[in-house]
Amino acid sequence: MANRPQKFRYSKHNMDYVLLAVVLFLVGFGLLMIYSVSSYEAGVDFNDSAYYLKRQGFSTILGFIALFFVSRVNYKVWQRFDMIALITSVVLIFLLLTPLGVTRNGATRWLDFRIGLTLQPAEVAKLGIIIYLASIIQRLEEIGKNVIRTPKGIAIILVPPAVVAALIYIISDNLSSAIIVLGIAVAMLFVAVPDYKWFIILGVIAVAGVAAIVIMATTGSADGGTFRMARIRAWLDPEAYSTDRAFQTIQALYAIGSGGIWGKGLGQSMQKRGFLPEAQNDMIFSIICEELGLFGAYTIILLFVVLIWSCMVVANKTTDRFGSLLVVGVMAHYAIQVILNIAVVTNTIPNTGITLPFISYGGTSTLFLLSEIGIVLNVSKKCK
Amino acid sequence: MTIKNSAGRRNMTMQKKKTFVLCTLSILALLALSVRVGYLMILRSAHYTELAQLLHERERDIKAARGRIIDSTGTVLADNRTVCTISVIHNQIKDPEKVIEALCRELDLSEEYVRKRVEKYSSRERIKSNVDKETGDRIRNLDLDGVKVDEDYKRYYPYGELASKVLGFTGADNQGIIGLEVSYEEYLTGKKGQILTLTDAKGIELEGMGERRQEPQAGRDLYVSLDINIQKYATQLAKQAYKTKQAAGVSIIVMNVNNGEILAMTDVPEFDLNEPYVFIDEYSSLAEQPSANTQDLLNQMWRNGCINDTYEPGSTFKIITASAGLESGVVTLEDNFSCSGSILVDDRTIHCHKRLGHGAEDFVTATMNSCNPVFITVGLRLGSERYYKYFTQFGLKEKTGIDLSGEAGTIVHKLENIGNVELATMSFGQSFQITPIRLMTTVAALINGGTLVTPHFGVKAANEDESIVERFEYPVKEGIISEATSEKLRYILEQVVENGGGKNGYVEGFRVGGKTATSQTLPRGSGRYIASFLGFAPANDPKVMALAIIDTPQGVYYGGQIAAPIVRQLFENILPYLEEMDYN
Repeated sequence: MANRPQKFRYSKHNMDYVLLAVVLFLVGFGLLMIYSVSSYEAGVDFNDSAYYLKRQGFSTILGFIALFFVSRVNYKVWQRFDMIALITSVVLIFLLLTPLGVTRNGATRWLDFRIGLTLQPAEVAKLGIIIYLASIIQRLEEIGKNVIRTPKGIAIILVPPAVVAALIYIISDNLSSAIIVLGIAVAMLFVAVPDYKWFIILGVIAVAGVAAIVIMATTGSADGGTFRMARIRAWLDPEAYSTDRAFQTIQALYAIGSGGIWGKGLGQSMQKRGFLPEAQNDMIFSIICEELGLFGAYTIILLFVVLIWSCMVVANKTTDRFGSLLVVGVMAHYAIQVILNIAVVTNTIPNTGITLPFISYGGTSTLFLLSEIGIVLNVSKKCK
Repeated sequence: MTIKNSAGRRNMTMQKKKTFVLCTLSILALLALSVRVGYLMILRSAHYTELAQLLHERERDIKAARGRIIDSTGTVLADNRTVCTISVIHNQIKDPEKVIEALCRELDLSEEYVRKRVEKYSSRERIKSNVDKETGDRIRNLDLDGVKVDEDYKRYYPYGELASKVLGFTGADNQGIIGLEVSYEEYLTGKKGQILTLTDAKGIELEGMGERRQEPQAGRDLYVSLDINIQKYATQLAKQAYKTKQAAGVSIIVMNVNNGEILAMTDVPEFDLNEPYVFIDEYSSLAEQPSANTQDLLNQMWRNGCINDTYEPGSTFKIITASAGLESGVVTLEDNFSCSGSILVDDRTIHCHKRLGHGAEDFVTATMNSCNPVFITVGLRLGSERYYKYFTQFGLKEKTGIDLSGEAGTIVHKLENIGNVELATMSFGQSFQITPIRLMTTVAALINGGTLVTPHFGVKAANEDESIVERFEYPVKEGIISEATSEKLRYILEQVVENGGGKNGYVEGFRVGGKTATSQTLPRGSGRYIASFLGFAPANDPKVMALAIIDTPQGVYYGGQIAAPIVRQLFENILPYLEEMDYN
């Protein structure tokens, strides 16, 4: 530390308050929308219109406590936990196979610790992967000689996240979380490795793969093919599958379209009244569109742009590679989820369950998203 | 923890660049999605809004009031009565036991029936419809949660069976089943309104979310030419004859000879329009037989003999033979004839109703006597071809086009099948069949100077505020006979009433013309007759015509003795009335 040429100010004044303000607004807005979206169904199902609001409120309080503590813990501590983070993630995923795993809607994604708390290992794994990658990249760079650009280096970086993603997909049947974990890894690698060509090649392969899958789906027989193929066909022509596979998608489109420019007004959504089931989860953005109109939708998107931009600013102000990579990982996490969520809701990509950060209902997700903000805030304190 | 090697430092600079690139790419992706969101919310908004609205709204029909039927005096003959439909909404019921108890009590239903519906999980369950308004109001005033009282219209006929076969009645959906209710359906029927309520996915109506209403449009009122006073009196007379003569049926038609407006039409026995599916006494015993076909019997009960059935007109048809004869010039009023009581046509002897014969008589007297051989002679003078030509010219082969459905057509020989015998029988109104309304319409044209009008009831359709929507027009055919012949005919027919067989039709103080008829129904020799009298007044300038037909009377069956008095009594009452009404 003494060797460092620059002076670091540890004052709180350097903390990124814009970022905090945006997050506070998003979380507050999220709670408001969760109440608006879920109150009708919660009233019918649980006889308590604030059922989901209360639960989300509890997770949010936990999340802010976590945020507060994490923002006060020097982020460099986390480097010591890199392997622990990875192992914990994997262990938690394997715990889903034990009686602790809870199966809902045919997928085992939750751990129930029998003390009134449930946990989604996939959400833990996202943070675990961010910490692990930031640390391992930092270590590789310290070795020097551009180890990071060798196939061995890339393998060291990419194999653990790939394994974790595969475990998430296989054990918890959660493709979207697997995609996010892998996406975070690729994004962090992209930032860490000076080259572009690998990523351009990867991008081309990905585009070609998507095109191939679409062609296979459209030329294949209508009733044949796998479950995911059918999902793709439903994506291409949702109105033809409006009663079964594209049901959720089409209901989301009804909500978005019927919002119009000005929206129906807060609380006035029709689609949330049983037409779009569990709208407080993945599809909450469509109800925001319906109630608050185009301007409401753009406000939310703008807030996420500010959030992502702020993360970028923090990452680039930091001279420390580990801190910078942590922030990049968090930024990638938010960006991927926001983009994929809005893309799913608007039927831009096939339907896969991805929540909208800070706004969708979900305890573990809120807790970890806020903890990640705590890390970013702590990094921001140590900027030059 | 600075990076100690140079490659690492270089990579750090690169890393910042690439972080910026990653961030920019993400923001670009979000911008692209913003465009997508904008497209969905602006350009596709109308499409999805419409689909969503279809999904969210449940519609409930509001029945439109059916147009009334109003007679020429302004009396409402067919009206609407407010009735209520009681239904329950499962989710809104707070105290099921109280609801069940109250509905059983008020609607006089079994507890089992009500309980089943109250406890059924459905968005809306109908308990009972056509509940009278008082009961409906009482239930509404109980203010039970989940019990809905909807008002509805039901057709109501204030005069019960009056003109039942003319007016007709409506079915469950307020649509016309028979009579004028069918003919003027398009005017009478209104346009249904709708209440569009927002519901959640389970179909539960949302409170306080407002509802859209499309107001119903009431049907048009139909103004008809019937006159309730004349109709009532005609019905009374017909019923009287029906009872005293123990007849199978009695029909009376009163018509304006100059424009075809029908002032009264009755075909006793009539039925109660408010209970059209309840058999009247004449039919109830038939309906109880195991082999009875209820629908056939109902159709029979609803049948309007004046237009749906044909008969052999008999001597009233001599008016047509006389017209043809006079018009063609084969006979004049002064022509002398001699009746021996029968006439030989080819190899057939046809008797006069007076077996001893009428002796020497001129044509006027022969008509007064209703002498068959004279009319056979006139018919034979005309020859089948010419007779057939006049038959056609007088419109007898066509339907009248009256504005009631199911008018029967004329049944007549083909021209090539009319030999002398057929011609002879046709001359005095036998061996073919026409409807009473057909006979009247043709005779009206023959005595009014040759204008063949379309008999009808409908005068105009108007809105509730009496603004006219449409005044109905009917085809008229001029000049089917010359005015001169028409005048002669009026003279002869007045003579028939003044001094001849129709003297029972004479009305003190009025000039009445007419002709009687007594025809044996087929098969001949069954002893069953149809007695009729066709009269009109004033004889010199006819305005109104009445036809009374008694089907199968017991006892005396001569038209001159039983049908003519009916028309006389009718005229005695309605002629002063019509004069007072300045009827023309």
